[in-house]
Amino acid sequence: MKIMNCPLNGPRNISEFAWGGEVKPMPDPASLDDRAWGDWLFLENNEAGVVREWWCHVPTSFWFIAERNTVTDEILKTYPASELFKERVNFAPSAKSPQAEKK
Amino acid sequence: MASLTNLDPATLKRRSFIYRKLAAAGAEFAEVNGGAVAMRYPARAENEMAVARRMGLADLSVLSHGGFKGRGTVEWLTRQGLTIGADSNKAYVQADGELAARLAPTEIFLLDALQGTGRLINQLNAAWQWAPSAPRPQQGYPTPRQDSHAWFMVTGEKSAEMFAKICGVDLRPQHCPVGTIAQTSVAKMSSSIIRADLGSTLAYHLLADIASAEYLWTCVEDAIAEYDGGIVGLAALRSLQA
Repeated sequence: MKIMNCPLNGPRNISEFAWGGEVKPMPDPASLDDRAWGDWLFLENNEAGVVREWWCHVPTSFWFIAERNTVTDEILKTYPASELFKERVNFAPSAKSPQAEKK
Repeated sequence: MASLTNLDPATLKRRSFIYRKLAAAGAEFAEVNGGAVAMRYPARAENEMAVARRMGLADLSVLSHGGFKGRGTVEWLTRQGLTIGADSNKAYVQADGELAARLAPTEIFLLDALQGTGRLINQLNAAWQWAPSAPRPQQGYPTPRQDSHAWFMVTGEKSAEMFAKICGVDLRPQHCPVGTIAQTSVAKMSSSIIRADLGSTLAYHLLADIASAEYLWTCVEDAIAEYDGGIVGLAALRSLQA
């Protein structure tokens, strides 16, 4: 069976992992219309070549990042998400949110 | 051996999810910390310790198990007197034989000692309190596991070989020192395995979702049959540890 290296648990059968979509920079939700937000959330670029993806080790619910070549299905590198995301994301209430309307 | 106790598990409020299977296999139950634990299987001709040394399977689900999780968990537990090392996927033995299994940097799964007093977990649950208002100190939060996780123990020299049939991780003793945790898939179920030898006998704790306890028990029971294995009671495990 194909083996993937989980940054927390080490090498494991690929059947223990779930794919979580491409890693894409998040646009500013406050300045985006719903369609553009939906596109970012649900549509994948589906690139041929090396991509960065979210993967989850299911027995531990540990989410991490993998770099994978989608042409050869070769996993090049896996690492914790903390290597990419170093700061907390704070969401400001958007102009359309109910909290903002109350003000 | 004549049985001095013949406790009907249904008379106690805490029973294992698979107690009917254990009873059907001839288990003699005893009360441990208010729960009905399968202590021994008196009808078996062979000595239970001999079975456990070769290839044994026991159900410990009734013994106390629980945990704490979140930022500050390890620091808080250390202040409560626990000794927890820096490595994740390692289990650390506590003063009275309990195990603190570090599943992740900020997640600890606690397993009671085989004596089953529940003392440490009770004491920690009583000590943990949510601060009444913000800002709350970083001390993690309790993750009750008593009714969410089945807890089995696999024992004996054939254990690692048996696991190789139902689990993809190499658990052979030379690759998996005492205290190692493998969070993986066992018989297609997400499970945690912790190596915790009993005296000189190779042994592993096996923890998994309790809703599928019967399924997993049946799978492991089937897998141990190849090695002339058998179900054993808590008494045999205690004797091996002593």
